[in-house]
Amino acid sequence: MIKFVVFICGAIVMSFEILGSRVLAPNFGSSVFVWGSLISVFLAGLSAGYYLGGRLADINPSSRKLCLIIVAPGLLFLTFPLYSTPISDWIFMKDLGVRMSPLLASSVLFLIPSFFLGIVSPYTAKLMICSLHTSGKTIGTLYALSTFGSIIGTLTTSFYLITIAGVNALIIGQGALLVALAVPLYFMNLSCRTDQTSPAGMMSDTK
Amino acid sequence: MASIFYLSALCLALFPLQGFALETSEKLLFEKNSLYQYISVIENTVTKERYIRNQKRELIQGGIYVNAPDKLLFEFTQLGFVSLAFLNGEPKDVLFVGLGAGVMPRYFTGRYSDAVIDIAEIDPDMVAVAQKYFYFKENERMKVHVEDGRLFVKRTRKKYDWIILDAYQNDYIPFHLTTLEFLKEVKSRLKDNGVVVANITAPFRNKFFDSMVMTYKKAFPHFVIFKGEKSINFIFVATTGSKIRDKDSVEARARKIQPAGKFDIDLEDFASRYEPSETYEWGGAKILTDDFAPVNLYQHQKSGAQ
Repeated sequence: MIKFVVFICGAIVMSFEILGSRVLAPNFGSSVFVWGSLISVFLAGLSAGYYLGGRLADINPSSRKLCLIIVAPGLLFLTFPLYSTPISDWIFMKDLGVRMSPLLASSVLFLIPSFFLGIVSPYTAKLMICSLHTSGKTIGTLYALSTFGSIIGTLTTSFYLITIAGVNALIIGQGALLVALAVPLYFMNLSCRTDQTSPAGMMSDTK
Repeated sequence: MASIFYLSALCLALFPLQGFALETSEKLLFEKNSLYQYISVIENTVTKERYIRNQKRELIQGGIYVNAPDKLLFEFTQLGFVSLAFLNGEPKDVLFVGLGAGVMPRYFTGRYSDAVIDIAEIDPDMVAVAQKYFYFKENERMKVHVEDGRLFVKRTRKKYDWIILDAYQNDYIPFHLTTLEFLKEVKSRLKDNGVVVANITAPFRNKFFDSMVMTYKKAFPHFVIFKGEKSINFIFVATTGSKIRDKDSVEARARKIQPAGKFDIDLEDFASRYEPSETYEWGGAKILTDDFAPVNLYQHQKSGAQ
């Protein structure tokens, strides 16, 4: 289950990035500045997510908390069409220049979802390591799954999804998928204690 | 393993920077991978033609006769001028979206020297190429804005008599310049009697063409098509309030401006190719929107009308 979550989150990050270029084009065009903004904002979100996700993972990680981490971007995606157009239009009206406008729009629209999706990788790694004791293999597998998911997300979105459905429908679909994934996580009860009463990172208490 | 290495080395040797092979009569004057596309300037030493080409052989973004640079070399650049016959006066404010070799705006100013021309072109290298190899020159009446065409249309407060949509990236129109929302923005920049003309390439009747027809139809109350005979281009002419729009009055107007503008192309012949958009409409085609516009896929899919 956890592995599946990692795979899907990896797929959604890149799928959302591809769709992001379509979201920005009507107001900010498709210049190199738009692509540069888009890619750097996603990477910024992911790196912040990795960093904070790692720290968060050291404080009693559980599948229930992971559920919340995934629900957050899920809800953002589900409501994306409601706020993306007004925000884009507003930034367009402000006219901050060909570089700053798409950079700001990307930051507002894409930074927070990619941040949450970034948390997933280190968080799930810790969750699995403390129950499995094979840290190297676990981390390697999760990295591979996440990146493999990204490949699948990029290809399916650019090759197929974008040609059969609208951008907004696809983003809502991603939100629904994240929320659907979060439900079983909530009931999974996979967790590990990292307080003084047990040796850090060595205990698992799945019920 | 070694054989694969030699094979790839051989491939590299056979295919240098240019994405295609030149004919023996062709000379490469310039090539560059710009921010947006591969641009090459080629001169045919036998036919004395000079043109801009992207990767594929047939993709030409405009060109000139070396010995007569003021003539229009390609049919699609000539055919576009038929849209002037939908205007009941001389166009004063003109907008080109997409510069290419700059042949059309240059030809236009040669005939309507009082008009004020804005040109939106995203690729700074294209502007440099037009200037260096195709005699394109800006002046106080003709300005290039190095900007995404959609952004220029959205930002400008000006209204135009004549708007020419001819922005291509390699062999396709960027999706955000094909959508209903974009066409509505263009329409809002049009004077009451203004005319929009678009160059739509379709090497065979494909789904993209079908969708463009239906999208233009949705955006504009009056919309007519002229088909290229020597090329794969269709010229879409759309208006909102123009009084001149039926075939007879367009032909009559073409006859009138032909001598007045000292045109060396046969506008009347072009006008006779007038076809109402209904000829090409296919109800099954999807209208392209900002939300849904699979331009690249549709280009390679056969029209559902056949």
